Amino acid sequence: MKLSIIKFLVVLGILFFLAPLVLTSLSAGWRWPMLWPAEISWRSWEYLFSGQSQTGIAVFNSLLIACGVTIVNLGLAIPAAYGLIRFPLKGKLIVQIILFAPLVIPPFVSLMGIHFTFIRLGLTESLPGLILAHLTPTLPYMIWALLSSYRTVGPEWEEQARMLGANGLQRMIHVVIPFLLPGILAGSSLSILVSLSQYLITFLIGGGQVITLPILLFPFISGGDPALGAAYALLFIGMAFLALFILDCLLKWSYRRVN
Amino acid sequence: MWLKIRPYLLLMPAVGLTLLLFFGGLALGLLQSLGLFSISGGSSFTFEWYQTLLVDQAFWKSFWLSFYTAGISTLISAVLGILTALGLLRLSYKWQRMTQFALLVPHFIAGYVVILLFMQSGWVSRWLHAFGLIDSIEQFPILVNDPFGWGVILTYIWKETPFIALMVYPVLARIYQSWLEVAQTLGASRLSFFREIVLPLVLPAWLASALIVLAFTFSAFEVPYLLGVTFPETLSVFSYQTYLSGSLEERPLALAVNFLLAVATGFLGWIAYQWSKRWSVQGWKGW
Repeated sequence: MKLSIIKFLVVLGILFFLAPLVLTSLSAGWRWPMLWPAEISWRSWEYLFSGQSQTGIAVFNSLLIACGVTIVNLGLAIPAAYGLIRFPLKGKLIVQIILFAPLVIPPFVSLMGIHFTFIRLGLTESLPGLILAHLTPTLPYMIWALLSSYRTVGPEWEEQARMLGANGLQRMIHVVIPFLLPGILAGSSLSILVSLSQYLITFLIGGGQVITLPILLFPFISGGDPALGAAYALLFIGMAFLALFILDCLLKWSYRRVN
Repeated sequence: MWLKIRPYLLLMPAVGLTLLLFFGGLALGLLQSLGLFSISGGSSFTFEWYQTLLVDQAFWKSFWLSFYTAGISTLISAVLGILTALGLLRLSYKWQRMTQFALLVPHFIAGYVVILLFMQSGWVSRWLHAFGLIDSIEQFPILVNDPFGWGVILTYIWKETPFIALMVYPVLARIYQSWLEVAQTLGASRLSFFREIVLPLVLPAWLASALIVLAFTFSAFEVPYLLGVTFPETLSVFSYQTYLSGSLEERPLALAVNFLLAVATGFLGWIAYQWSKRWSVQGWKGW
């Protein structure tokens, strides 16, 4: 196949995906069989950015949960991945099965089981409860990214630093972390992205009281106002894209620093 | 002594939290589905809810729907995924990044775009009309919120194809890098190179990623909830409806469905793990 055809298909695929969202978000009474809306209406976008919509608080909550989850994940995964890769370990297989199980068994299954306990502990309808709930689907990705990053730090480097008299903390800060930075950023991107995309477990634990972007968006796309649904979908994509773009810039910067 | 327990100490927070939150949830769900720790009061061990499920026609309809939508989506995405990965081999890094766009979009938004494209008054039917292929809106088949699940299958195909492509891409790239020239010098055509060398080497990674997709599509909730019909519904939607819309007494039924989902997806994940292990242990050594 010609190279240009492959490129054409990629561009066409992305356009064919974005076009219906953009057109629908700008449409008002877009009748079949018209290919394009007869008139452009900014109603949905005006509503989205107006005070009556809950866009601001939804974006804020979504980002707050995603960042909270990512910070906790880093705290858990940096030592865990180190332990998995650096030491001979009895029951390594079991540990891996435990840590990676939430990648295949859907987290909502476990969350429905623990839902009642969350209610008793007063964790439902709260941000800490949601951060806890989002940990299960995101932690395996963080560990996975860090594991591949740890493989690039040979133990020799740490040996070297130890010989030169660096203590544990200094070795961590000056040797391990710089090598680990790409993995930290890749894991954070995945963790943020997966957390931003959660609907069902946010709905279960948040009880519809904590508004995140998926919670706000879902009623519109499941048979609500199509124009608003499309506008919110685009906002979501834009937000996820921006978050990943920032992390990607940091990633490039960190590569340059390591090299 | 310190050195011996150190890795366990390092692993304890992550493993402990996963055990508590995830496996704790699974265990609590299992116990409740067996009639213990009932929310509505009373606690007695019973297989009643599983018996109810196994004789329920609606449950088997749901099982079958989940099974074939997942199966069809997985088969098609696996084939398209490896073709996409072959196409990616020829593209520069920048272009490869653009295809990762598909991974950025969550499933429910992908599902919504499928609705906008493929509903009877959707964009595809408008284009077909513009080209004179259909005259009226009724001539376009019902592909969204249809009883068969075409909309669900379409959404999964376009979400899982890039996933499989990106999972097999590193393996493919490595195979082509190390073996293509040798094979060509020895006179292999591109097709026979693919059949004799690439396929056997890429197979474990390919099958493992397809199994992960099968486990996911079999149990995921958002897409069938958005693009499905009220009856039959997939197991995940069945569980959700029973849990939230049913009475408190019926919740063990939802948790029984959940436990079956956990067993099925866990089993698929286990096979996938075995395959990918075989590939990473034996496969990498020779080349």
